[in-house]
Amino acid sequence: MSNLLQEIEAQISGVKTSVNKQNVGIVRECADGVAKIEGLTDAMLNEMLDFGNGVTGLALNLEETEVGAIILGDYLGVHEGQEVKTTGKLLSVPVGKGLLGRVVNMLGQPIDGKGPIKEDAFYPVEKIAPGIIRRKSVSQPVQTGIMAIDAMIPIGRGQRELIIGDRGTGKTTIGVDTMINQARNNKVGRESGDKTFRPIFNIYVAIGQKQSNVARVIAELEKAEAMGDTIVVAASASDSAANQYMAPFSGAAMGEWFMDNGMDALIIYDDLSKQAVAYRQVSLVLKRPSGREAYPGDVFYLHSRLLERSARVAEKYGNGSLTALPIVETQAGDVSAYIPTNVISITDGQIFLETDLFYQGVRPAVSVGLSVSRVGSAAQIKAMKQVAGRLKGDLAQFRELAAFAQFGSDLDAKTQGILERGKRVVEVFKQPQFDPIAVEIQVAVLWAVQNNFFDDVAVEKVKDFQAKLTEFITTRKADLLAKIRTEKAISDALAAELKAAVAEFKPTYDVGKPKAPVELRKSAETPRKPDQSK
Amino acid sequence: MKITKQARHDAKQLFHICKVGGLMDETRVRKVVGAVIAQKPRGYVGILTHFERLVKLDLDRRAARVESAVPVSEAMQQSVKANLALRYGRGLAVSFAVNPALIGGLRVKVGSDVFDGSVKARLSELEASF
Repeated sequence: MSNLLQEIEAQISGVKTSVNKQNVGIVRECADGVAKIEGLTDAMLNEMLDFGNGVTGLALNLEETEVGAIILGDYLGVHEGQEVKTTGKLLSVPVGKGLLGRVVNMLGQPIDGKGPIKEDAFYPVEKIAPGIIRRKSVSQPVQTGIMAIDAMIPIGRGQRELIIGDRGTGKTTIGVDTMINQARNNKVGRESGDKTFRPIFNIYVAIGQKQSNVARVIAELEKAEAMGDTIVVAASASDSAANQYMAPFSGAAMGEWFMDNGMDALIIYDDLSKQAVAYRQVSLVLKRPSGREAYPGDVFYLHSRLLERSARVAEKYGNGSLTALPIVETQAGDVSAYIPTNVISITDGQIFLETDLFYQGVRPAVSVGLSVSRVGSAAQIKAMKQVAGRLKGDLAQFRELAAFAQFGSDLDAKTQGILERGKRVVEVFKQPQFDPIAVEIQVAVLWAVQNNFFDDVAVEKVKDFQAKLTEFITTRKADLLAKIRTEKAISDALAAELKAAVAEFKPTYDVGKPKAPVELRKSAETPRKPDQSK
Repeated sequence: MKITKQARHDAKQLFHICKVGGLMDETRVRKVVGAVIAQKPRGYVGILTHFERLVKLDLDRRAARVESAVPVSEAMQQSVKANLALRYGRGLAVSFAVNPALIGGLRVKVGSDVFDGSVKARLSELEASF
């Protein structure tokens, strides 16, 4: 009997909640989204702090007598003398497929009004990137749907490709087109029932952008039915600097969940220049020493630790990948400024967009000479490599000879050929926005260009010819496109079929009169008309 | 006011002088303050301001505040003081206060550490867990 009583007593004392030790501090000063807290002796670096009323903060500065913390959330509710508690946790965000189709803020809370989010896990916002052994080299393509990029600057799954240019040159457009194309490919792949098909999920991180711009991007994605495969993390211009500084890391955590679970994801950081500015603001308010252009000393580390988290993981660890397309805005085309040079040295290549090309009508305004992809043709399907392999070199030759184009017929036939072909290739690469092209159509069109089918089409009619050719092949030769899509290489039989198809289309199109070359010294050669007045 | 780095450094050194056996000694503090005011070295206002802050922080660190819903008996007070001395060593300045909002139990705050065993805290913990 006494045993039973003892047992019950032990159980009761076990159930009674024990008193935990908490660590508290008092807010001494609160300004500009940063709070200086006295006390908090047990605070650890990057630890989440609880300000009460659902406001959290991050301990960033651990000094001798106080802790400097940034406030994530509504900092207007924090006042001097308020009590702050440590939580012993790292800042974490919800991750998982439940986030697809949703617009969330930096903490992972939904801001689209579509109800709470069902997360699969909570991932820490700051995490160490996968080590060397865990990685595998990039070999699977990410089809952006933009011909200029897929042909000459191909991007692979797990690569980081920087999109850099002045304002208004089409950087966000490249990102949005890529996301739309991934959604389209996902749809085609799922419907085809191909077991080896791997969908790519999109994450768009908007940092410091106008909310109207973010709304426009979301509207375009919804119109193209791409929102179902996309997560939007929005830290717009009216959000605090702390939110803008941490938003890319939240996005990276969400992408890492896909990577850790054997899936592929694409993340677009739009843009990192604004994140650097927000980080500069936070660092200066925390009284950290400033360096070049008033940026703190660790602004390189800010971007390198973010971008290193995008990788392709080996089969043993799931074969997942996270591809990053960071966007950086330059001022007046100065790519040798501080932040652009930092990010260029971190990424595996860059896509340069030039304002001159943009206003000349070449859109996407990709500068072929300065853009590079360090992964290169390892990330292209064989068919694309076959048709586009020499394009970059040919266009480089064209650009060199373009200065002589004004001489017209005074050049030898070979140079004329290079010039004419180059002009047509530049025309073919022009593409309207929000209209990505499937890879099989790209292959077919480029094959036609490389096999001289475009050579007698007048330059101003090339776009129209391309559109009609695309329409012809899509409607009447759908099985040919399907073959290119599944075989991924142009065998001799496929080449013959392509030749037959294009040859069938060509006579139905009126190519127009080629422009007559300008005749010099005309007055000396033509006989002069007799004077009529006499 | 803006306190220069030199003033901060000097104040820190003066504070270290005031420590006897690891604990701050009040008589020494008074002597130091008197000496600084008498001699008026360069930037002495800044030195004294920062010195005051360091003293205040040290006092806060070694101040224990015990809050209860009802006044605590003498025996209980002694036992609490003994337990705290066990954990934190000697030199703690323990103060007792009555806070009816706690409903029941004790809330002990030593420096930055808070041991909250009050009924109010357990209720709010219960509320937060839903």
